[in-house]
Amino acid sequence: MAINMIMASSRALTTPCSSSLTPQRPTRAKLPLITLPKASLPKFPTTQKSLLPFISIAIASSLTMVPPSLAVEIEKAALFDFNLTLPIIVVEFLFLMFSLDKIYYTPLGNFMDERDAAIREKLNSVKDTSAEVKQLEDQAAAIMRAARAEIVSALNKMKKETQIEVEEKLSEGRKKIEAELQEALVNLEKQKEDTIKALDSQIAALSEDIVKKVLPIS
Amino acid sequence: MNVLSCSINTLKGLYDISGVEVGQHFYWQIGGFQVHGQVLITSWVVIAILLGSAAIAVRNPQTIPTSGQNFFEYVLEFIRDVSKTQIGEEYGPWVPFIGTMFLFIFVSNWSGALLPWKIIQLPHGELAAPTNDINTTVALALLTSVAYFYAGLIKKGLSYFGKYIQPTPILLPINILEDFTKPLSLSFRLFGNILADELVVVVLVSLVPSVVPIPVMFLGLFTSGIQALIFATLAAAYIGESMEGHH
Repeated sequence: MAINMIMASSRALTTPCSSSLTPQRPTRAKLPLITLPKASLPKFPTTQKSLLPFISIAIASSLTMVPPSLAVEIEKAALFDFNLTLPIIVVEFLFLMFSLDKIYYTPLGNFMDERDAAIREKLNSVKDTSAEVKQLEDQAAAIMRAARAEIVSALNKMKKETQIEVEEKLSEGRKKIEAELQEALVNLEKQKEDTIKALDSQIAALSEDIVKKVLPIS
Repeated sequence: MNVLSCSINTLKGLYDISGVEVGQHFYWQIGGFQVHGQVLITSWVVIAILLGSAAIAVRNPQTIPTSGQNFFEYVLEFIRDVSKTQIGEEYGPWVPFIGTMFLFIFVSNWSGALLPWKIIQLPHGELAAPTNDINTTVALALLTSVAYFYAGLIKKGLSYFGKYIQPTPILLPINILEDFTKPLSLSFRLFGNILADELVVVVLVSLVPSVVPIPVMFLGLFTSGIQALIFATLAAAYIGESMEGHH
């Protein structure tokens, strides 16, 4: 049915063209070779009328100069020549479709789908491990915090110990110094008393001397 | 009048110089039927290229893809993306169809532009892209039609045909007509683009043999890729359209 349509339309399409071309060819070859039984062709009276002067001119011009080569060269130009090629091409196409499906579309398509699925799975698993990584990071942060606190406490302890030690040593030194000072003061006092005593005993002799010198007794 | 005769003469001259072979076929006889040999030969080459490169690249898939596997993975992703945007969530079973449609048309078109087919002389006709022949494009378009009917019937059963009177029963003729215009437009778009592209390149090469045809060749490569994408996208869109619910 569709072929009939195509044939009819192709005929209708090409007849004006061939009628304008035929005068050039002495052999009166027609452009389309139509193998199907003749269908009743629609007539186009208006176009025929308008074509008439053109055809007459064409005939006149072609009669004056007929190329000898054309007569030999052109036989039948079968543009719309339907034959067994059509079903053979259909069979070839179906064969190509099934074999390409077997060696190309299905295997490669399945392979690509599987790869896509695998990649998606891997991506999802990576997303899961990111939570794990976060947990591990938190753990690490907690450990770091504990260690820092430990260090701080140890530092404080050491500071306290050293301070106590230093204070002990300081107080010890102070006590020693105080004791020495006391001793020195006691010594000084004693020496003072001694010198005062010594001076007392000498005062009498001195005063006698002074009296003797001042008051000449003799 | 002068202008017209001049243009006819120049056209004739072009035709003479370029030696363009349009609609010339290398016929084979198979059991009383005629076959276009050049189309079959090039399509076998295209199929061999596709199967061979795919088999080599996907032979031993690695988790970290190497260059060849990487390219084929990229192509598969692209095809899946096209199918998914057009068909929707149930695109899985249609990836082989859409992908093969795209790859076959794409490699065919590019082989016509890149492979030096013309070196191999045939007794008649010449080797070109397989999509250069109306048989190939119509075959692919009809496969697309069958595919979207199949998709709709599998998905919704006989209630699939309810879509013909969907907005209102008045649109029934237009809806039926669509089933014919879809393969028609698909096949003729591809056929016309590829044929026109090759013709333009051949004519330009025959007129100016150097430098000038190069941009047109690049344009042809671009068009070829776009046409392959359009064909595959439209096929997927038709399948998706027949699968989606009309409630």
